[in-house]
Amino acid sequence: MESLYLLIPLSAALVLLILGIFGWAVFRGQFEDLEGEAERILDADCTQVDADQVAKTSGSKESGH
Amino acid sequence: MSALADPVTATAISTGPETVSPTGLVPAPPEGTQATAAVDDAVEQARYTRWVVDAQGRELRESALQLSGMHCAACTGLIEQALYAVPGVQFAQVGGAAQRATVRWDPTLTQPSALIAAVRGAGYGAVPDAAAPARLARRTEHRQAVWRLFVASFCAMQIMMLAWPSYVTGPGELEADMRQLLNWGGWLLCLPVMVFAAAPFFSRAWHSLRARRIGMDVPVSVALLIAFVASTGATFDPQGIFGHEVYFDSVSMFVSFLLGARYLEMRARHNAAQALETSLACLPEVAMRVAADGTLHSVSVHALRPGDEVRVPVGQAFPADGVLLTGATQADEALLTGESAPVAKAAGSNLVGGSINLGAPVQMRVQRVGGDTRLQAIVSMMRSAMSQRPASAALADRWAGPFLWAVLLLAAGAAAVWSVIDPSKAVWVAVSVLIVTCPCALSIAAPSTLVAAARGLAGQGVMLQKLDALEVLARVQHIYFDKTGTLTETRVVLAGTGLAGTGLAGTGPTGTGLTAVGRAVLGDDAAALAQAASLAAWSSHPISVALAASATPAAQHWDDVQEHPGQGMQATDSQGRHWRLGAADFVGAAGASVDTDDSNAGVWLGCDGQRLAAFELADQPRPGAREAVQALRALGVRVSLLSGDTRERAGALAQVLGLDEVVAGATPEAKLAVVAAAQARGECVAMVGDGINDAPVLARADVSLAMGQGALVSRSSADAVVMSNRLGDIVRARARALRAMRIVRQNLFWAASYNAVCIPLALLGFMPPWAAGLGMATSSLLVMANALRAGR
Repeated sequence: MESLYLLIPLSAALVLLILGIFGWAVFRGQFEDLEGEAERILDADCTQVDADQVAKTSGSKESGH
Repeated sequence: MSALADPVTATAISTGPETVSPTGLVPAPPEGTQATAAVDDAVEQARYTRWVVDAQGRELRESALQLSGMHCAACTGLIEQALYAVPGVQFAQVGGAAQRATVRWDPTLTQPSALIAAVRGAGYGAVPDAAAPARLARRTEHRQAVWRLFVASFCAMQIMMLAWPSYVTGPGELEADMRQLLNWGGWLLCLPVMVFAAAPFFSRAWHSLRARRIGMDVPVSVALLIAFVASTGATFDPQGIFGHEVYFDSVSMFVSFLLGARYLEMRARHNAAQALETSLACLPEVAMRVAADGTLHSVSVHALRPGDEVRVPVGQAFPADGVLLTGATQADEALLTGESAPVAKAAGSNLVGGSINLGAPVQMRVQRVGGDTRLQAIVSMMRSAMSQRPASAALADRWAGPFLWAVLLLAAGAAAVWSVIDPSKAVWVAVSVLIVTCPCALSIAAPSTLVAAARGLAGQGVMLQKLDALEVLARVQHIYFDKTGTLTETRVVLAGTGLAGTGLAGTGPTGTGLTAVGRAVLGDDAAALAQAASLAAWSSHPISVALAASATPAAQHWDDVQEHPGQGMQATDSQGRHWRLGAADFVGAAGASVDTDDSNAGVWLGCDGQRLAAFELADQPRPGAREAVQALRALGVRVSLLSGDTRERAGALAQVLGLDEVVAGATPEAKLAVVAAAQARGECVAMVGDGINDAPVLARADVSLAMGQGALVSRSSADAVVMSNRLGDIVRARARALRAMRIVRQNLFWAASYNAVCIPLALLGFMPPWAAGLGMATSSLLVMANALRAGR
């Protein structure tokens, strides 16, 4: 039972942390477009997010020509 | 955590990440003086302000403001009060559904920035109503609401887990220090709910108290504060005056139910606002103008002037109202009729700005731009209907104050009585009473239903200018129709043929309007009409438009088309023959005698100086008129004709359509007298007219509808406009009005009976606070969901 003295404050702190993370995500627009991000990968003309994707798309274009 | 303690700081934090957002979104305008000063700039002002002159001849401005932070009917009153407190404000009206304020102010005394500051001072957000900032304001409001709802419901779940042991254990089973630990946990998790999630209730309650008004948030805030303070006392001093009962679970659940209901309300409001903006955004930004030398220039649609020629590619919206010059295409005119079936457009057809070109790239001549266009007329009508508060809501506002005072007194009385009977129950009985009486459902019952119904009607092509019109439309017992332009439409027919088969045969002798030469050149009647229609398609003269609409234009190639004002049209065909369409003298010498009544033959078609065919204007019942009249009579409405036309013609039409009563040869005064007499008999009267010639009688009738015809719509004084021009829509509008009023009655009955049942239960101590919160939120949701049915 003594463990509860540690676990209850810990869970309360965790709840507060989750609230903060959720708020951050909401205001960053993480929930505004749930399908769009998943479909973006299929769109070749999208803005490239990292160097790997840049290399891949330019590579495939070259092989295509 | 401490940063969240104050709602103002919380807003600052929440907008913070948005300004550094990598998606490149423009941040919402800061609430500083810089932003509000920019609002006063003349160019900026023009985007949301128009000039008006009042009855005393003073020059005033009327500004539209987009509001945020409104949650209930009482808020509208508070904002209006704040606006009226600004010196120089002549008129202020706040519409709850669209979250818009219309303010009329004196430019010598105040500035828009002062108005905005006043609304913000009352605790609400306000930005000038140009679409983009409003959209951003809406998004921020939405994100705030989602976060608050999440905080409240997530914490409520956790608190429930911590409260669980004290519900399931018997007395003495739970050690005192363990109970203490669980209470502390509950208190800690309840803190964000109270200071962040419930902050809107507290701040609005505070603002309404400061304005010496009582809003719906006051009892809610009092309930939350009592429960939280009592529970906090019990947590930290179990032997103290507050006893040892804690209500953290009830508090957080109540807040999350309430926020959930208001979140759905907010979504409905945002959808309505979005629908408005979508229809406003129909026009393209740029248009391809054809210069005199035939070159194309890309210009802003605001630079277009009547008379300009514009090329419209497929898939783009027509940039203004106008007439099709060359080519044939189909247009999607769903914005007028609510039907997206393409409408065929031949050269000479009228085009509506904002409708979409589906068929082929075409060239059009601009006739009306900007505020003159039908699209603008529709949008401004939708706006005024959406931002209005129906009379029933105003009545509810008046009673809200006394009602809320009664609630507070009732709760205080209950607490006093229970503190004698059973002191441990006194606090939660008071809290339950405060929660259960929250008249949220009652206050949204009527307005939300009417707005939903108005939106549904707008989708069908019937625009309401006044929400109250629905209420009256449902009660209507007698509908008076005007004849010309309402029950009938003007068609051009070959002289002498009249309108065979309609019962409205023309007065001229029977026979044909073709001359002997005409019969030889043109062949049959239909060919004559087709030939004339194809030439008429080049002109926008009303008779030409009617002629072009009367027949399928012949596929004829015309060169050297000229329009002689006051006389007619002239063109050369591919064989080099000169054709003329217009007045008899203009067209040429009479050929062999025509067996027709010359007085009726307004238009002649001729070739190389010889008259070939004569046409006359005739009335013909609108398609669907008979069905509409029969349907209205089946609904138990008397249908009468009120016409200035002769007894014979009016009588013939009445017989064809099966009308109850005919008043023919009526002057405007006589029409007024007929309607007044019907009202004196106790009948609720509707008048359907073309909106212009019948202005006095439209104003006199209990509810008035106008057929939407071209640019006339924007000048109409009717309560509702049938944009689609279909008489059947009047029947559907009445059916929808009946349904909407039935839903309003259901809603009022439900909300009232819920309160009547639950208040005694709460007073007698049978209803714990969490159940009260659940009941209140559920009844609000039920009322909202029921209201939305009116829009389907």
